[in-house]
Amino acid sequence: MKSFWYQAILAPLRELGRQALTSLSSLLGMLVLVLLGLLVGWLAKEVVYRVLRTLRFDRLCGRLGVGQEIERMGFVHSCSYLAGQVVQGMVILTALLAGLNALGTPLTRNLVERFFLYLPHFLAAFVILVVGILVSRFLGRSVLIAAVNAGMPAARLLAGLTRFFIVVLTVVAALDELGISRTTIIVTFAILFGGVVTTGAIAFGLGGRDLARELLQSQFRPQAKPEAEDQMNHL
Amino acid sequence: MPEEILTDQVRQQLPAAGSVDVVVGIPSYNNARTISHVVQAAQAGLLKYFPDRRALIVNSDGGSKDGTREAVLGTTMDTRALLLVQHPLNPVHRLATPYQGLPGKGSAFRTIFRVVELLQARACAVVDADLRSITPEWIDLLLRPVLDLEYDYVAPYYKRHKYDGTITNSIVYPLTRALYGVRVRQPIGGEFGMSGRLAGHFLTRDVWHTDVARYGIDIWMTTTALAEAFKVCQSYLGAKIHDAKDPGSDLSAMLVQVVGSVFSLMETYAGVWPGLDGSRPTPILGFRFEVGLEPVPINVGRMVGTFRQAVRDLASVYQRVMLPAQLHELQECAALPDERFALPDELWVTIIYSFALAYHRRVLDREHLVKSVTPLYLGWVASFARQTEHEDASQVEERIERLCLVYEHLKPTLISQWPLGASEKR
Repeated sequence: MKSFWYQAILAPLRELGRQALTSLSSLLGMLVLVLLGLLVGWLAKEVVYRVLRTLRFDRLCGRLGVGQEIERMGFVHSCSYLAGQVVQGMVILTALLAGLNALGTPLTRNLVERFFLYLPHFLAAFVILVVGILVSRFLGRSVLIAAVNAGMPAARLLAGLTRFFIVVLTVVAALDELGISRTTIIVTFAILFGGVVTTGAIAFGLGGRDLARELLQSQFRPQAKPEAEDQMNHL
Repeated sequence: MPEEILTDQVRQQLPAAGSVDVVVGIPSYNNARTISHVVQAAQAGLLKYFPDRRALIVNSDGGSKDGTREAVLGTTMDTRALLLVQHPLNPVHRLATPYQGLPGKGSAFRTIFRVVELLQARACAVVDADLRSITPEWIDLLLRPVLDLEYDYVAPYYKRHKYDGTITNSIVYPLTRALYGVRVRQPIGGEFGMSGRLAGHFLTRDVWHTDVARYGIDIWMTTTALAEAFKVCQSYLGAKIHDAKDPGSDLSAMLVQVVGSVFSLMETYAGVWPGLDGSRPTPILGFRFEVGLEPVPINVGRMVGTFRQAVRDLASVYQRVMLPAQLHELQECAALPDERFALPDELWVTIIYSFALAYHRRVLDREHLVKSVTPLYLGWVASFARQTEHEDASQVEERIERLCLVYEHLKPTLISQWPLGASEKR
């Protein structure tokens, strides 16, 4: 009878208690790691913010057009502060993952492992996206100013097309880096791009030769030659 | 150790230090068609006006493929035709050398200055290689103020057609005058005289890898001379006629180099110009005579068209540079019918000051920023051409004087906004 009580009641209760203690210590470990992450994250944010501000990072962002873009998206803080916040977020996320790992369950271990395997791709895609958007803005503005100075009526259209194609290429490259339906994206892009070009060629070549001529003349040919050419020496 | 820009071969060709009093420098690039005339004028000027001085003509060439250097060395002249009163004591030496560094007039000047420094010459004159109106008197007018009157820098003073030199008239002259308080009418004229001391001083500055080495050299030299209080005068040279311009030369690239240099120099001398108020005249030496000027055909309609398109299409760029009220005024100007098109002086000056501030604050890529001034500048030229259509040279000069006074009058607003750096929000 005594053995029955021990095996049926006490032993499971003891095991439960032991497991509860183990879980509690893991939970405590996780809590400590998260709290530590919050503290280190805050410190990292302040350090990054102050260093970047000293290095005039905001001025650089303003020059590249990032500052204005961020403002337009509704952020009220400076680029230096936002960079600090990104670093803070990463530190906290890392601490959270380390805490989850400390729980020691197969599920959390698997989750953490997969996250760290995916992280480089995610960061690379992010960088591709940011650089692509900046390049598209810069080149778009270059085309716009040059086209206006050359007196091309379709200046905004040309600048918009420049930005559009660079952004599309960037998004495709970023998604490819993330491995999201790689083949589907490339095929879709190829079909879309090829389709646009083919449709345009057929439309301009067969359907509306006169219209195409007029359109091209009005949009892309610089304004009609003046009767008298400027012979100014501006300097 | 400073970088040596003259090759050993060139250094060996140079006369001994102290053996040359004056140097005439001619920067060139594919100017075989006109440079012989310039060399002859320079040589005649040296023989006629400086017969007792030891002189050297230096051609600093940017790698011409049309035989420019050969033309310099092969130019001959019959000195009997010069009717010299005094027989020259020394022959005029010539040296033609390719320059080192970035391609441009500034690098060519640097080589000339280095020669002046090595030879310890007392005075130096630089003249463009494409000049058609240069006479021997120009050499006298550029060098004598340095040799006899102790001036350090001699700027040219020309008679020009009212539509000639419009960047000078609309931006460079009035802005330089308002900033540095000295009236130098042709700060980027192309022909200058300077003391050997100033040429040596120019060499010490670390600017030879910037736009100064290209076509910002003229405004850089003038500004340096004014801001650093060198003794400056102007010499009246008559009319300036030069070879037809390169049709491929890009106006916006020209603006980037010249106006960009003016804006950049505002940063260099930010400790000087805010403390200066008003402006004082600079002496004009030489006999003032009237000259006939060739008409300059311009197409006002096309300029107004470019201006209107810019106000519409570049609004996103201008919003980052100007105040909303300025942009609104620009839009009102753009909406005027062709026959009433005008850009008020006050608006023009505040726009230029806004661009100078935007350049300082780096609100945009600097090249984009200055290139976007181009259509606005064309708008100013169109407005100026309409207003001065029936005016003579003196009336046009009065109009430019009024514009200069607006620049001076509005300078305090520029000063009040200048110290503001990038926004300091957290």
